[in-house]
Amino acid sequence: MAGMEENDEFYLRYYVGHKGKFGHEFLEFEFRPDGKLRYANNSNYKNDTMIRKEVFVTPSVLKECRRIVSDSEIMKEDDNNWPEPDRVGRQELEIVMGNEHISFTTSKIGSLMDVQTSKDPEGLRIFYYLVQDLKCFVFSLISLHFKIKPI
Amino acid sequence: MANVEAEAVDFEPEEDDLMDEDIGDGSASSPNRGANAPRLKSAITGGLSSSAPKKTKGRGFRGEASTEAERNARMSGRFDSLDSDGGPGPERSIEGWIVLVSGVHEEAQEDDLQNAFGEFGEIKNLHLNLDRRTGFVKGYALIEYENFEEAQKAISEMDGTELLTQSITVDWAFSKGPFRRRNMRRRSPRGHRSRSPRRRF
Repeated sequence: MAGMEENDEFYLRYYVGHKGKFGHEFLEFEFRPDGKLRYANNSNYKNDTMIRKEVFVTPSVLKECRRIVSDSEIMKEDDNNWPEPDRVGRQELEIVMGNEHISFTTSKIGSLMDVQTSKDPEGLRIFYYLVQDLKCFVFSLISLHFKIKPI
Repeated sequence: MANVEAEAVDFEPEEDDLMDEDIGDGSASSPNRGANAPRLKSAITGGLSSSAPKKTKGRGFRGEASTEAERNARMSGRFDSLDSDGGPGPERSIEGWIVLVSGVHEEAQEDDLQNAFGEFGEIKNLHLNLDRRTGFVKGYALIEYENFEEAQKAISEMDGTELLTQSITVDWAFSKGPFRRRNMRRRSPRGHRSRSPRRRF
């Protein structure tokens, strides 16, 4: 089955967070197969309110998300040689597309320098840019729908 | 089943799943299956399941229980949404109606979209996001119109047309309810599936 088939299953979840003096601060979003987009952002700095939003997106939006993932070729990568999550933070990217299911974890990536000096710069670079592109997509959707600033 | 239910999220089975469904323990039916929202099994529980039909990859499958419990706690709270009747059709956003344009040329400028889409109504907001690596347009745009009619007209007149030599698709961004389950329930394979036990993977 081709990865871009419209009726293929698709699920995506991204998490980034850490535990520090402001508690557990994190950002997480997921696209579910039925179109439900969930977004959660918990920052205890200044105001300790958790933002949790959900909205159903159309198949077209899910398809675009899948295209972004597919074009990135992230499914070919492996997190074996990526930096392990640490005290500074943790990232998780879970994607189901067609008959593949990835669940990658790594530390926070501060800049491209972290990518360059890692043991798998090619793979980590793909992850690094994909995450930014996905965040950008989700932030646009959430901010347009709810008129909030996602971060 | 209930506690599995609470933590695991499953998908619709794929075609290849259907083949081995009949092998199950033969317990009569799974009538409630269609009533549940489609759910995905968390990676952390999913990876170790021997019947997982997917090729899995990544350290997320190592199955740290604390990580999973934490994730369940995070996602189990109440999520805000705008009032919606849950029915079919596009959903209004807080200040207007959002349209997704995909297939946008990587060298497109905001003006190109303004020119093409401005004739259906004033564009209240335009997001033309860039590819973070290349700096070119990522390939989609989100456009906000104030009125339903404007957005509807943009969709019906622009979907499938060409913009800067590329064919674009134009559709609503948000929906009042889920799309997948509704379609699946009405499809004939349902009858076939209903003989098999509720599948966990």
